[in-house]
Formats: sequence, C-alpha cells, structure tokens
Amino acid sequence: MWCLSGLFGSRVGPAWYPLLRVVSKGSQHYPPVRALQASAVLGRASNEHKEPLASPSQQHFDSPPAGHQPEQKPQGLHHSYTGQGGQQSEDYESEEQLQHRILTAALEFVPEHGWTAEAIAEGAKTLGLSVAAAGMFHSDGSELILHFVSECNSKLSELLQKEQKLVQLGEAEKKPIDEFLRDAVEARLRMLIPYIEKWPQALSILLLPRNIPSSLNLLTSMIDDIWHYAGDQSTDFSWYTRRAVLTGIYNTTELVMMQDSSPGFEDTWRFLENRVADAMAMSSTASQVQSTGEAVVQGLMGAAVTIKNLAGLNQRR
Amino acid sequence: MAAAAGPSVRCWLWQRRPLLCGPGPRPVPGGGAPLRPCSTRGAQRGIHKPVIDRIIRVDHAGEFGANRIYAGQMAVLGRSGVGPVIQQMWNQEKEHLKKFNELMVAYRVRPTVLLPFWNVAGFVLGAGSALLGKKGAMACTVAVEESISEHYNNQIRTLIEEDPEKYKELLQVIKQFRDEEQEHHDIGLEHDAEATPAYSVLKTAIQLGCKAAIFLSERI
Repeated sequence: MWCLSGLFGSRVGPAWYPLLRVVSKGSQHYPPVRALQASAVLGRASNEHKEPLASPSQQHFDSPPAGHQPEQKPQGLHHSYTGQGGQQSEDYESEEQLQHRILTAALEFVPEHGWTAEAIAEGAKTLGLSVAAAGMFHSDGSELILHFVSECNSKLSELLQKEQKLVQLGEAEKKPIDEFLRDAVEARLRMLIPYIEKWPQALSILLLPRNIPSSLNLLTSMIDDIWHYAGDQSTDFSWYTRRAVLTGIYNTTELVMMQDSSPGFEDTWRFLENRVADAMAMSSTASQVQSTGEAVVQGLMGAAVTIKNLAGLNQRR
Repeated sequence: MAAAAGPSVRCWLWQRRPLLCGPGPRPVPGGGAPLRPCSTRGAQRGIHKPVIDRIIRVDHAGEFGANRIYAGQMAVLGRSGVGPVIQQMWNQEKEHLKKFNELMVAYRVRPTVLLPFWNVAGFVLGAGSALLGKKGAMACTVAVEESISEHYNNQIRTLIEEDPEKYKELLQVIKQFRDEEQEHHDIGLEHDAEATPAYSVLKTAIQLGCKAAIFLSERI
C-alpha cells in the first residue's frame, strides 16, 4: 500500500494522502474527484509557507480521511490541477513541503518516542494537523530517519561551505587534510548527540533492504561532499579509494560512538583521530610503494635497453 | 513498477539539498534519484546533472584510453619514421585529457571505475596494433578516431536538443575536440591505414570494442 502511495506521491501533486487509504487501488493514473477536493482543502489550508495555519482552515484537516467535503466541491474544481511534476503555484504548498514540515516537527519527539509513527503523529499535531497525517509515512519511521540524515548532511554541507568561504577570504587558515577530515566527521557525528539513545534503532532501520538504496545514496553523497571541500581533485581511481577509506572511518567511528560512555564522547574523538592518522599513514605508505615500484621498473627498463643494445636489436627501423 | 516507483519517488526527500551558492562553478552536492530527471543537485546551475555526468565521465574515459593507445603505439613505433606523427597526435590527446580533468573537477563528476582497465587495455591495443606495422597502427587510429568523432557528434546533438545556451561552453569544447579527432582520422588515412591487411576486420573489431567501452564507461 505504501508503495502505491509513493506512486501517487509528489509526481501527482497536492497532498491528498489521507484520502488515499479509502480510495480504491484501481485508479492508477487519475485521482478521484474527492482526492482533488481534499487536495484543494489541504492546499488552501497550507497556503502561506511558514506561517502557522489559520485555525478555520485547520478544521479541514481534522475531518477524517473518509470525510466528505460537499461544501468544497465548487472550489475544488476551480483549483487547478498543476500537480503533474510536483510543480507548485505561488500560494500552494506541495506535498513534499508538507511532508518535510511534518518530519521536521516530528524530530523533537524522537528522544521520547523513538523513530516511530508516534513521533510523526506528535509532530503532525504540533503543526495543527490530524494525527492521521502520520499515515502518509511508513509505520517503521524510515522516512523520519532518512529525513533526519538528509537534514544533517545539508547542515554539514553548509558548515563546510562557510569554512571554505572564510579560507578564501583569508580570514582562516587552510587546515591540513587530516585535521579537516577529522573536524568534518566530528561535526557530522555531533549532530547525532541529541538522538544518541535511539540512534542504534535508526541504524538498524536504515539497513533494511528497502532503505538501503536511499541510505547508501545519502552516505556516499555526504562523503563526497567532505572530500570535495577538503580539496580533493583526483580524477583517477584514487577518487574511489579515498571515499572508501573515509566511509570506513565514518562508519566505524559512528559505531564506537553508539557505545561510548565517556564524558563528551572523548573516546570517540580519540578513536577518530587514530583512524584518520592510520589512513594518512596508509596513503603515504602507498605512495612510497608506488615510487619504489616505479624505480624498480626504471631499473628493469634500463637493463632491457642495455641488453637490446648489446644484442644489436636497437636499430632504427 | 509501483514497487520500483515507490522508493524512488520517496527518494525526493533524501536528495533535497539547500541551494548552495558556492564560489566558482560548483553545482550543489547530493545524489540524484535515478528516476528524477532534474535533481536539486544540478538545479543550482540549471544543468541536467545526470546527462552532464555521463557525458563528462565517458569523454574523460575516452581521452584517457586514447592517451594510452598512443602511448602503446609510441612504445613500439616511437623511433620509426611515423613516430613524430604519432607523438604529435598524442600531445593533442594529452591536452584533451587535461581539459576533461578540469571539467570533471568543476562539475564534480565521478570517474569511471573501469579506468585501471582502460589503462591496460588501451596500451595493449596501441602496442598490439603497432606490432602489425605502421599501417596497422594507422588503421587502429582511424578506427578509434572515427568512433570517437561519431560519439562526440551524438553528444553534441544531445546537448543541442537539451539547451544550446546553457551548455555553450561544454558544446564548444566538444566541438573543438571532435574536429581535432577528425583531423587524426584523416592523418591516419593519409598514412595508408586502408592498406593494412584485413583492414575492415580490424576496423570493425576495434570499433565494436569502442562502442562497448563507451557503453560501460557511461554507466559504470
């Protein structure tokens, strides 16, 4: 069922999710008129982007999914069905934005309820929506976790970008790579601290097969971000090795953090420092091995040329 | 279909990024869901990131491979009469590779995983064709350059269909490179490439290999 809701999701536009459960599964491509009306209701109700919803409009949300909106019929049909590609007109909140707002509001209830539909329901309540809005999301809280991870990654990006600007303006020193990586990973892991109690649960949900593509995507883009701001300009295979190494460092440090009980997570940061130092040592060893290898190859080539000369094979053709 | 659409449609949430105004031509970081034609990643510069990704990745791989092919040919024929010609073509390919390295960093494109493989395969192809003699090397050059010219033409068509204005710089680069590859092709013909024994077999085989390489490098 949830995948069907996904099918109708942002592609088809306005949020008439609460109705979806009642709507028959047969209508694959065109939402029923009722849904259009609900969307009109929700659309109008969430008119201004970040302002609290006016209380009269909030009443519409309280009507249960199967609710009737006979009085909305005329207005519903006026409301243009612009939802094709998730486009929005000016005074019209898309379903994506609504879901985003609900999940953001739900985050403050996570320490209490965990990464569950209850937290989402509480979040929806604070926005003045009915708890049925939690029905838009899957019951195991996957979307909430993925939303949280995505938000953390965005925050990290902004942080790194600000630092980069400062360095470019000359107001800050450019950090050496190991310190940069250490600070970036630490900053990102610190965002987990308020939710650390329930984070192991989140990690296990992220590893569900259903969630793996999304969580992997988020992880790889975060690591790519960090390397990008660290100044990585590799265009050969080391692009992959660097990211693989940093992913390993990040994941292991995250796991260490889960069961770290030292004050201020000092054990974790020390672990992180050691792992980054290991990685640096490994890369310098690798380059040493490479230059030794090249020297050996040069030696062999020299020997081969000498032999060719001695055997008279080195003539101009 | 619904099941596949489900997670990817929901994927919009996890690829949302704030629109960063980075200094220089750096598009927004983030992973685009495969079904989303315009991820927020490219939204900052208004570019169609998945398309540009592929183009730059495969072109980079192509120039890298061409470099290795000429290196292989030089290793065998470097001190022969045709050496200077190959050297000059090789120098131009080095310029091309340098340009694509820059573009790759600017557009934050991932290189293809198969680079080490193209490293070896290109050198082997170059050296192998050169062992067939000067004509063999030239035949290899003709085959590869013809493939590459056609491939660049396809890309130019794609970019023009998308939006010629937006991709003006990239289009210029690809057009210039296509012209230079065409020159190499003509140089190859001038040096009796067609006189190679089993020329058409050799040419077909090499071009098939190029097509496969292009297909793989775009995706992997």
